[in-house]
Amino acid sequence: MSVSLSARNIVKRYGGVIALSDGNLDVHSGEVVALIGANGSGKSTMSKVINGVVVLDGGQLLLDDKPVRFSSPQAARKMGIATVFQELSLVPKMTVADNIWLTREPLKPDGMIDRRVMREKTEALLELFSGTFKADLRPETLVSDLHPDEKQIVEILKAISLNPRILILDEATASLDSRQVERLFELVRRWKAEGKAIVFVSHRMEEIFRIADRYSVLRNGKTVGQGDIKDITEKDLIQLMTEKEKVFQFTKTTIAENATGLEQPVYLEVENLTTEILRGVSLKVKQGELLGIGGLQGQGQRDLLLALFGDIPYQGIVRIRGEVVRFKHPRQAMQKKLALVPGDRAKEGLLYIRSILENFLLPSWQKYGFPLKMKLAKRDALAISERLSLVMAGLMAPVSSLSGGNAQKVVIGKWLLRDPDCYLLDDPTKGVDVHTKAEFYALLTELSQQGKSILFYSSDDDELIGLCDRVIVLHDGKIRAELKGASLTKENLIAASMGVSNGGEA
Amino acid sequence: MRRISISPPVAAILLAIVLFLLSGFLPNGFGNDINVAIAQATNIVRLAVFLGVIAAGQTLVIISGFEGIDLSAGSVVTLTAILTYVTVKGEDDKVLLALLISLAVGALIGFINGLGITFLKISPFVMTLGMSGVVTGLIIIINHGNVSGKVAPIMTRLIARPLSPDIPIPNAIIIWIIFGFMMWLLLERSTFGKHLFAIGVNRVTAKLSGVNVTVTNLAVYSLAGALAGFGGFLVVGNTGVVFIALGQPFLFPSIAAVAVGGTLLSGGKGSYWGTMAGAIVLTLITSLLTTMQMPDSVRRMVLGATLLVMISIYGRQRGFRQ
Repeated sequence: MSVSLSARNIVKRYGGVIALSDGNLDVHSGEVVALIGANGSGKSTMSKVINGVVVLDGGQLLLDDKPVRFSSPQAARKMGIATVFQELSLVPKMTVADNIWLTREPLKPDGMIDRRVMREKTEALLELFSGTFKADLRPETLVSDLHPDEKQIVEILKAISLNPRILILDEATASLDSRQVERLFELVRRWKAEGKAIVFVSHRMEEIFRIADRYSVLRNGKTVGQGDIKDITEKDLIQLMTEKEKVFQFTKTTIAENATGLEQPVYLEVENLTTEILRGVSLKVKQGELLGIGGLQGQGQRDLLLALFGDIPYQGIVRIRGEVVRFKHPRQAMQKKLALVPGDRAKEGLLYIRSILENFLLPSWQKYGFPLKMKLAKRDALAISERLSLVMAGLMAPVSSLSGGNAQKVVIGKWLLRDPDCYLLDDPTKGVDVHTKAEFYALLTELSQQGKSILFYSSDDDELIGLCDRVIVLHDGKIRAELKGASLTKENLIAASMGVSNGGEA
Repeated sequence: MRRISISPPVAAILLAIVLFLLSGFLPNGFGNDINVAIAQATNIVRLAVFLGVIAAGQTLVIISGFEGIDLSAGSVVTLTAILTYVTVKGEDDKVLLALLISLAVGALIGFINGLGITFLKISPFVMTLGMSGVVTGLIIIINHGNVSGKVAPIMTRLIARPLSPDIPIPNAIIIWIIFGFMMWLLLERSTFGKHLFAIGVNRVTAKLSGVNVTVTNLAVYSLAGALAGFGGFLVVGNTGVVFIALGQPFLFPSIAAVAVGGTLLSGGKGSYWGTMAGAIVLTLITSLLTTMQMPDSVRRMVLGATLLVMISIYGRQRGFRQ
């Protein structure tokens, strides 16, 4: 069953944002192709184009040299393309067997589901990973009772149960332990020998070199290099992923020295911070420092910021100006003059149907007494909206009437109103227009000159390099590298993101 | 074409006025006698007070979102009405005590609702429905000893009579206006109110902005219980008698009044002015149909249909489907 899939000059736009401008990928029977790229390079869009989750805007998909168009994931599945999704696609309140065979349940002659056959087939599938998971993973176990690694295994089995000709593994190893990864790679080699074609999307450089036969590198929506993995080194791959041209002129913020010429005091000190995702993170932030946090998405950056803000429980010690704190609710963090701009502004940062005024004032109402001094509140909100040059119909207009960039200004503005000492920023420029980005950069510089400490996570590596003095790179819940001065280069940043050990001074 | 948008409370009040004017043409309507018309209008508003107060708690829990609803309001009304009745026993100086008992018992029941919803994660619908059953059981236990009591004269005077012989405005309406102003202070001019709207829209945003979602949620159900308790106190002051089915007929209209008043049933948006308007509309329609000697079945159908029509109009106007 020989198969080949080619994607040629793929274009995909989301609204005004171009995710892919020239994506190319070739994969044939009996080989593993690694799809590689930094944050926002378009690799997840590329895999979504191949498996029919998104419809492409331009370019061509060739399956066995014949042009095809997938209108849905189901259509792609019918052509023998199956995907193991990174965001799990399982139904929690259904059993393992029900999930794997959903919509394809084996039937008895009378049209009822044949539970016995379904069970046997599921057991046969589970056999593939036998010995790498605990005994409680059975066909009749509820998916909601499973650990993340076991869910990932079920996800893989669901894809392989379709007996696909082309299998896409989208970050499928992220939650697996080393034994499970080992087993998956054995299986991949077997499927390869059976003539399947495999696309492997991963952020672990070491795994790419272990399993892939060929590579395809995306950068900024364009495929910039393809070839045999044995002809390339880690260093060259990272070079390929690294953007050359700069879009912005950044002004670096260096910590202002105080009058006596001494160094600024340490504002925040974190020791061995551990959460479900973080595995012992220690760091120090000085007063007035803009500390960058880098790394690929989902490596614990969000947990770090939420733990510091008291939203999720953690182990470890956090000190603010030398005093040990342990926040159990964001309110306590706010009292210590911390502020958080969360990563998902629609779901975590805004009250969409409420007015701009109320969004600005939500953290601050207590200051306005009872009955609330509305005139004063309006004046304060207006002052902030002018400082941020917010484009709006009026303070009473709902936030839902604002553009993405202006809505993000409201999220930041509500904290400016409280004048915090420390800002925790979770990718604040994501989905924000270029003009607003430039305004944000100026604001960050201004805040750090005022002596505010800022922890700044960004999925845009250029921002980190352009704005920060010092960047820590998270990988798998740990600080993989701390880059500053001469070592703060895009190459080192990407290398550390991919878990390459020689990137920076780890 | 510019779309005309009218805020729901205004729409509800306009509807009430139009219906009332049309009712003048009915065979036994007020005709062209302005004095009779005013008297009729006043009486309808006076009747709406009781529904309006009971619907106040309902407004708060519905604004708090996440399927917030209080199905125990009807039975709390009955319970506190009975408690008031047996406490007062016709004595004026026991009235204040009875009021405090009504508020406290209502708040306690609401607080238990809040505990179940917040900590045991029981859906508000199920929790308050279950509570309604428990409270009804309590009422039967109390009633077995045959309720003996009496409403105090001062209650009748304060609730059922006009302000003074010269000013024919019933005291109940004055109480309602003051009550409405306090509700407005609570919702629009207090930190609690602002936090209430916030948790109704988005609890993650609320928490990350420092709102204590747990405490706010407990407080809103306790407050809703206390307001239902206050409703029971007022109702018995008006009727002067108690019976087991006293409060339950208020339950469905209390939810309908909130909806007709334009409060978003999914939470996060609404006003008590709207609920007041809604209570007037529902009371007006009921009394018109009664005047027209429509059977109960027709009254129910018309009320249900009114609710559906109003809500579908609001849904279109605000365009929530984004």
